[in-house]
Amino acid sequence: MTERIQLDPLEPWVEIKTTKQDYQNADPKLLETMLGQLHLIRAFEEAILDIAGEGLVHGPAHSSIGQEGGAVGSIVGMRSTDAINGSHRGHHQFLAKAIAYVAPQLDVTNLVTSQVQEVLQKTAAEILGLAQGYCKGRGGSMHLQWHEAGALGTNAIVGGGVPLAAGNAWSQKRAGTTDMTTSYFGDGAVNIGSVLESMNLTAAWDVPLVFFIENNLYAVSTTVAEATKEDRLSGRGVGFGIPSWRVDGMDPLAVWHVMQEVEEHVRSGKGPAVVEAEVYRFFHQNGAFPGSAFGYRSKEEEEHWRSRDPLDKVANEMIELGLITQEQVADTRKQAVAAMELVALELLEPDLDGKPGARKIKSNLWPDSGFVDVGLRSDLSELAGAKTLEQDSFTGETTDIRFVDAIAKGMDRQMELDDRIIILGEDVHRLKGGTNGATKGLPDKYDGRVLGTPISENAFAGLGGGMAMDGRFRPVVEFMYPDFLWVAADQVFNQIGKARHMFGGKNSVPLVLRTKIAMGSGYGSQHLMDPAAIFVTAPGWRIVAASNPFDYIGLMNTALKMDDPVLMIEHVDLYGQRGEIPADDLDYQIEFGKARLVREGNDATVISYLNMVNISAEALEQTGIDADLIDLRFLDRASIDWGAIEASIKKTNSVVIVEQGVQGTSYGGWLSDEIQRRFFDYLDQPVQRVHGREASPSISKVLERASIAGLEDVVAGLKLLKEGFGRN
Amino acid sequence: MATQIKLPEVAAGATHAVISSWLVNVGDAVTVGQQLAEIETDKAVVELLAEEAGTILQLIGKPGDEMEVGSTIAMLGAPGESLDTPAEAPAVEAPVVQDIQDAPAPVAAPIATPTEIQTPVPAQQSSSGRVMVSPIARKLAKESGVDISGIQGTGPGGRIVRRDVEAAPTTAPQAQSAETPSASKELASQEYSSTYSTVGHTSMRKAIARRLTESKSTVPHFYLNADCHVDELLLLRKKINESSNVKISVNDLVVRAVAAAFQDVPEANVVWTPDAMIHYESVDVSIAVSTDGGLLTPVLRGVEKRTLSNIAMTITDLAERSRAGKLRQDELEGGSFAITNLGMFGTSSFSAIINPPQSGILAVGEASQRPVVIDGEIAVASVMSVTLSADHRAVDGALAAKWLAAFKARIENPLTMLI
Repeated sequence: MTERIQLDPLEPWVEIKTTKQDYQNADPKLLETMLGQLHLIRAFEEAILDIAGEGLVHGPAHSSIGQEGGAVGSIVGMRSTDAINGSHRGHHQFLAKAIAYVAPQLDVTNLVTSQVQEVLQKTAAEILGLAQGYCKGRGGSMHLQWHEAGALGTNAIVGGGVPLAAGNAWSQKRAGTTDMTTSYFGDGAVNIGSVLESMNLTAAWDVPLVFFIENNLYAVSTTVAEATKEDRLSGRGVGFGIPSWRVDGMDPLAVWHVMQEVEEHVRSGKGPAVVEAEVYRFFHQNGAFPGSAFGYRSKEEEEHWRSRDPLDKVANEMIELGLITQEQVADTRKQAVAAMELVALELLEPDLDGKPGARKIKSNLWPDSGFVDVGLRSDLSELAGAKTLEQDSFTGETTDIRFVDAIAKGMDRQMELDDRIIILGEDVHRLKGGTNGATKGLPDKYDGRVLGTPISENAFAGLGGGMAMDGRFRPVVEFMYPDFLWVAADQVFNQIGKARHMFGGKNSVPLVLRTKIAMGSGYGSQHLMDPAAIFVTAPGWRIVAASNPFDYIGLMNTALKMDDPVLMIEHVDLYGQRGEIPADDLDYQIEFGKARLVREGNDATVISYLNMVNISAEALEQTGIDADLIDLRFLDRASIDWGAIEASIKKTNSVVIVEQGVQGTSYGGWLSDEIQRRFFDYLDQPVQRVHGREASPSISKVLERASIAGLEDVVAGLKLLKEGFGRN
Repeated sequence: MATQIKLPEVAAGATHAVISSWLVNVGDAVTVGQQLAEIETDKAVVELLAEEAGTILQLIGKPGDEMEVGSTIAMLGAPGESLDTPAEAPAVEAPVVQDIQDAPAPVAAPIATPTEIQTPVPAQQSSSGRVMVSPIARKLAKESGVDISGIQGTGPGGRIVRRDVEAAPTTAPQAQSAETPSASKELASQEYSSTYSTVGHTSMRKAIARRLTESKSTVPHFYLNADCHVDELLLLRKKINESSNVKISVNDLVVRAVAAAFQDVPEANVVWTPDAMIHYESVDVSIAVSTDGGLLTPVLRGVEKRTLSNIAMTITDLAERSRAGKLRQDELEGGSFAITNLGMFGTSSFSAIINPPQSGILAVGEASQRPVVIDGEIAVASVMSVTLSADHRAVDGALAAKWLAAFKARIENPLTMLI
């Protein structure tokens, strides 16, 4: 007979309900503020639906009507330094946070102050895509950000904002505050990896993050019960050791009570919390029709939930307590509706060409179309006055060092100088400097700043992104292998890469992502890519790669200073190679955007980067071709040294791009396209390219070798280039 | 079974020719010897004749296209065959050479061929018929006035590359087309305020320029003068013309004298080539004919066997057909010697440029009455000055002098030419 031992979760899982007593005990000002927020949000959403119904909202406008209780109940008690972010359905959370920021307490007899009016107008303008919006019209309904108010930005990727919120919360704690961050998402997001990865990561690290699930019972038309077995969604938290609460989101005071308990736990440094608020959206996913019109729920069900409207709930309780009259409630609504009429007057005008009564957006409010790419990247003013060095011209004393030791040594120096630098990645804190030794000595010296992560690239990349967007810390994230970018693709590309631009062009994202190309190491098809070309497709990212220790230190210093996300590509073959670095100066940068002319010649231009630079030099020796060899160092579209490329091509008229990786993800494709368009009249032959074969490199040593470009491929490429000279 | 009609090598060493016009249409039945097209070469508009009977299936080259010798310019099917015959072969596209200043679009569109054929594609042309020129080569050629069409590309697939342009002679005049030459433009703007007009070069003008430049700069010319007393010759001519239906000119007599001189000094009837000296047995003489388009030099063959009247008639015919652009290419080829006569313009004497690969040219001036000393007495005589230009590689001075003496003897004793 087996022995059975009952196991219990680490943390409690409870449901909180209010009683009449709770309303009696509630601070009347709290209830009044909640009622005011609820009405402002409701009137706002109704006005947006009206405008959307006239076809004036470009794209979706996800209405929160019916769901206001969760947002208002949870945000009304927050500090202005607390932060929130949200999902595609986020107007109500954004407004609650923004209104609470400008008016922590609301007076329903004078509901709409000028500051509140401004919040309503700027939010509406953003949703309409107008220049005066919070994100200058770029973000729209699904990307509402007002950093100052602690609104980190809503997110159109389901679950995508949660790792970023974790990063913000990590920073709040690391900065010594007791502030917290709340990430709002729906029932659809609880089954997505980034949310579950973030639950695990924040629990492991005691990050002050509140996972606030607005369970509105439907992911578009799919019911929660169809999508998951445990449809009490707060149950997710318990499995990760996170205390979890379930609450009726139609009762704002109940939510407030839950948050009181949550805050006590989270602010005390004990880690995250999960809150599940059951709410109901009165309309369909998008637009002004009820879900019953689309057949996935009944009118009876909708009627039942409408009778539990949070606006009525708070108002009725207050009336019952004699805190307010029915007329005052009606007047509160009237004020909110009037405020939105004013917003409409400010943003819209009669459309004289349309049907009677038709409106249109005032044409002078649109952003200038020239703004389309503005603010995609930092203006690099942060690099002004930087001290730069070049190995060729450096005359000081030098030290001979292995490449990988130079990585650790350079990082050590910068971490010493700059407390903001935080390293995170898999095993970076162990194994005497991670899997390759690049963080050797750093975990012991910098307590709490070298963070070994769980194997969840989406979560820790996003956590780094959240740290960077917060700005108090400058994360250096490591992907053990480049191919993991696909695992973390949402955070890397949709979030980190797009954030600055999407939120209006001002939100700096100072993050360095290190990764190493491992072609030749036998790690096979899923570990051996060169990520450069993929990152080139994401314009928010800058890309650097060093072919020697001297350049590495300088490039890393440049990257650490930049206010943009920077990918630093390394290569395992280089780690063991030795080179000279300055003996007494590890603070220099490599001049931004400057390629290195490794050797000079007249007949050809060889463009390469990373380990292939040295191999190209060797191939040039073998073939005797008189060529410029350009080590790009800066690889992305906005940082690449077009001047050096232009000067060389105008001289030689023949160019070959040398890289190691396979064809599909090869970097040379975009570069050759740019070259032929920029310098067509100077080309004497097609832009030649050396790259690997078609398939991803296999484990088998012979097949791996055959699939990647090596010395003989470069030699062959150079010979092809030479044939192009003619007159041979 | 269709056959390809290819652009003939209408002159030795010619690489390109222009299709002036087609004289047949697609679908026409043609007979052997029927004139198909007029081809403008360096030297003339020549007729392209059908070598076999059949039906014209396609005309690949268009009038005005400069095309490579050997390229397919038309398809000839069996009599009655039509273009609808099922095609099995890949498309053949006509190689068309264009002046670089011309419109960049390829002239010839891909044309499906009805039967399997193998078109040898010239090296520097792609299957689309374009001359393959790298962008920098094209730019450099344009800037330096190099004629791309005259360059053999040495890049992959025959692409003309930068180094080919750099190796080509620059500022070649033939590179200029109907567009305003930049040099003239500068001159005009800097020094002359007068208006001017420009006329694009014809193939013939380009050829004259090129060949005479080549001759004058590569053939070592030397010159011998002789004054010939021609009273007797003029008298004889007068007598002949009184009794002959065919009018004999002084020039006809000069041609006859040249032939006789070569019979007297056959070792002078030679042409220099890099490998060997060519000795001619018959006397084939080019006659310079001035036309509106430029100078033409049709060849009169076997002059030593021809009667004076035959010479006269043949020269008249050649001259007329030269001016009408109706010479056949073979009538322009060969010959070891040329005669040019400007006497009718009152030119007393001049020196001429040898027409390669010939080894000599005789420049004939006006026959006029001049004071001469005969046996110590000054007298009046009809004198015709001639200047022999000789290629020193083929003919030494003494030999040339010996030949000129023979010519003088023949011209001053004209009866000997009639024997």
